[in-house]
Amino acid sequence: MEVDHHKDTEGQAEETSDPPTESNPPADTLATSLCLLGNHMFPDQVATNACSSVNRSEPATLQPSDASVEDSGLDEGPPPNPGTDSRTQDSECQTNLAAHPAERVTEDAAINNAQSDSGEFVVTMLAKAKLEEQGIGVKGRSSPLLETGIQESPSFTSHRDEDVTADSWRRHRKHVFVLSEAGKPIYSRYGSEEALSSTMGVMMALVSFVQSGDNIIRSVYSEENTVVFLQKGPLVLVCVSSSRQSEQQLREELLYVYYQIISMLTQASISRIFEHKKNYDLRRLLAGSEKILDGLLNLVDSDPSFLLAAVHCLPLAASLRDSLSQILQKAITPNLVFSILIAKNQLLTIVQEKTVIEDARLAPADVHLLLNLIGASSAFQAGEIWTPICLPLFNPDCYFYAYISYLDPPDCTVCLLLLSTDKEAFYSVAECKRKIEEAMLAQNSLSLIAKAQSYSVSQVGVSDLRHFMYKPFDVPDNYRQLTQFTSPEMEAPYSSEEEKMRLLDLYRYMHSRIHSTSRPLKLIYHVAERETLLAWVTSKFELYTCFSPLVTKTCAITAITKLLRWIKKEEDRLFIRYPPKYSTTPNPSKSSRSSRSDQQDTTDNGFLSLL
Amino acid sequence: MPDVPKMKKPDAKLVLLGDMNVGKTSLLHRYMERKFKDTISTVGGAFFLKQWGPHNISIWDTAGREQFHGLGSMYCRGAAAVILTYDVTNWQSLAELEERFLSLTDTANHDCIYALVGNKADLTDPKAHLCQDSDVLSEDRTDCEEARTEPQVLSACPTPPASPASLSGMLLHKQVAREDAVALYGRILRYKGLDEKGSLPADRMCFETSAKTGYNVDALFETLFDLVLPSILRKRHENQASPTVDLEDCREASGKRGKSSCC
Repeated sequence: MEVDHHKDTEGQAEETSDPPTESNPPADTLATSLCLLGNHMFPDQVATNACSSVNRSEPATLQPSDASVEDSGLDEGPPPNPGTDSRTQDSECQTNLAAHPAERVTEDAAINNAQSDSGEFVVTMLAKAKLEEQGIGVKGRSSPLLETGIQESPSFTSHRDEDVTADSWRRHRKHVFVLSEAGKPIYSRYGSEEALSSTMGVMMALVSFVQSGDNIIRSVYSEENTVVFLQKGPLVLVCVSSSRQSEQQLREELLYVYYQIISMLTQASISRIFEHKKNYDLRRLLAGSEKILDGLLNLVDSDPSFLLAAVHCLPLAASLRDSLSQILQKAITPNLVFSILIAKNQLLTIVQEKTVIEDARLAPADVHLLLNLIGASSAFQAGEIWTPICLPLFNPDCYFYAYISYLDPPDCTVCLLLLSTDKEAFYSVAECKRKIEEAMLAQNSLSLIAKAQSYSVSQVGVSDLRHFMYKPFDVPDNYRQLTQFTSPEMEAPYSSEEEKMRLLDLYRYMHSRIHSTSRPLKLIYHVAERETLLAWVTSKFELYTCFSPLVTKTCAITAITKLLRWIKKEEDRLFIRYPPKYSTTPNPSKSSRSSRSDQQDTTDNGFLSLL
Repeated sequence: MPDVPKMKKPDAKLVLLGDMNVGKTSLLHRYMERKFKDTISTVGGAFFLKQWGPHNISIWDTAGREQFHGLGSMYCRGAAAVILTYDVTNWQSLAELEERFLSLTDTANHDCIYALVGNKADLTDPKAHLCQDSDVLSEDRTDCEEARTEPQVLSACPTPPASPASLSGMLLHKQVAREDAVALYGRILRYKGLDEKGSLPADRMCFETSAKTGYNVDALFETLFDLVLPSILRKRHENQASPTVDLEDCREASGKRGKSSCC
């Protein structure tokens, strides 16, 4: 009866596990389930409200030119017509930049359209779920903050202790929740997991309801928020975001959260734990690691490395980088597999064992997780750390043992990270550090590193260019190695945090258009309110540029030609090339440096020939 | 086999064990840096070297989190002294010592010395709260001031314990009495099969400390250093008498063959 009633109501909740054409019946069911759940949780008002305010997203999908389905839920306005979605009016072209005339459109009128805040269905539901203060499974640790002196800093305390019924809690730009299949809370970015246990229960109910129909819930769109679900093994990750990022981007971010959890516990042990005990409280094992996850989410929001899935290395004269690599290359011990040098949270160089990991490449995501671990932990600044860590993309089921030590106390900007496969190798790995320290002292490396810094876009010498991000798919001489990108400092007008975030949001928007699954683009010329952006992806590179607002298309193209030439010229400095390898097997091979000469002649990096 | 010159081995090893949030890192930091500052949950273990007279004493500050439990026995291997730390305001933290941590010490030296340390005494004990113990008090006050006026510093390296209770001078309920610790010390000796008569007496080996005010911290570490000296000297003497096999070497050799890679 209930079901019949609600079937009339069309749902804005969109479920996209199936091809779009088949999505209608499940969408109905889901909307129904949302309403039922709504009814259950808070009998009258909210559910009715929610149901009356949902709209079917179908009209939007009919628009031939619309690649941004996420805007479809404009529920209060008139029926969507192609004109209101100004995003679709960016001039886009698949092959030829000059094919279309530029059209000036203001950025995201949709955002303004969507400001009324009624019908905030999902979030209303999630936030209003009855709060039960139950310390499930915390076993005498329910209030470690009060009982123990080791409290969290005010900023963190405020996040953890936030009142989850308050508006301010609901207004956070991006919520991330992790729960177990049994619906047990594991992590919440804001507010305590205990207070959110029933909210997470509702999330799990959504997941299992859809699952019972042999389907997978992927996302729910509301007017202001996108709710994205990701199920990985026994864990369910949920993101509730008002950032207007694409579903794929949000899912990628959830994946990073999942990987960070794996990096601490390994996939194998998580599966094992939940096989044994479905309702295990994983917080027992993650206790103390919340800050690492908090730190990761802050980085994801503020560092484009995650968006681009590439690492950013500190620009350094090639000769200096080579000499550092050689120092690392010489300080080896059995079972050592990676030696990584980091300064100011950016890579200086990576040297890796060659036989153990013949074909394997270190994935950028694994490097990001390592950098986050180091960054999120001030404790590393004292002493030498020895800790197990899993690199989930390298092998999600086993641990490496990481030796972490700063080389320049008390400043603590230059950090050495040595990864070994041997749990007992601490003393021999620590000995490698002494050797590295000595060699760096002899070559005065530390003071040279201290002078290294990121560069200013003005060095490119293109007047209208404000900022860019350039990601080559293969750095020359670094074939199939670590994916890298280069980017100048964000300078005025993007020096304030708000403006930085705004620029990043623009980049995220461009990125989502380029990588849209339904309608991928190769080139976008996007005139926004206060700047003009041009994104371009070829088989050789991916490039995002930001220009002053009055630049013309011709100017922008000339600028990009110049920029690409400049990058080519500076390549040695901007990227890690010739990544050296060492052998820690009993008979060290002599070929570790020969790769350099082998690849010396591969000079064609492709992009100039495209121009 | 590539030449791996051995790092000069420390003469003795001291390990800090205990549940998370009892203040192991803070204790060590107070002793080494003479400061009380924010710490964050330790990852794995942290290794420090302390020069004590002519001797090198290595100190392992371990993570109390269950996540790293498997590593405990590795950190404890060959330890000359183990500091079992609990929080005087948290009964569970004492119980955990017996339940989770005691078995980790199986790999320690047979003549290993055990100390039981109740930290955060400043929260329950006016004497520890108003500790005039050393040079640290005034400095400590400034630390606290700074901590309160510079929240951005805190967020970068978050932590603790400017506990509201102690700031206002209000004292918390002490959940672990000294007698409880003494009783546990007796059980530890029995677990180790040691004779109470021949071992160090409980009243010497049970401490109550405050990393925050510095109360009893120096006394703790220095007592232990002095106590491990005889074992250092004995070991040195034995080595001269009959050179023994270096276990570390053997392990490395077998490690190479056995588990060269996890993948």
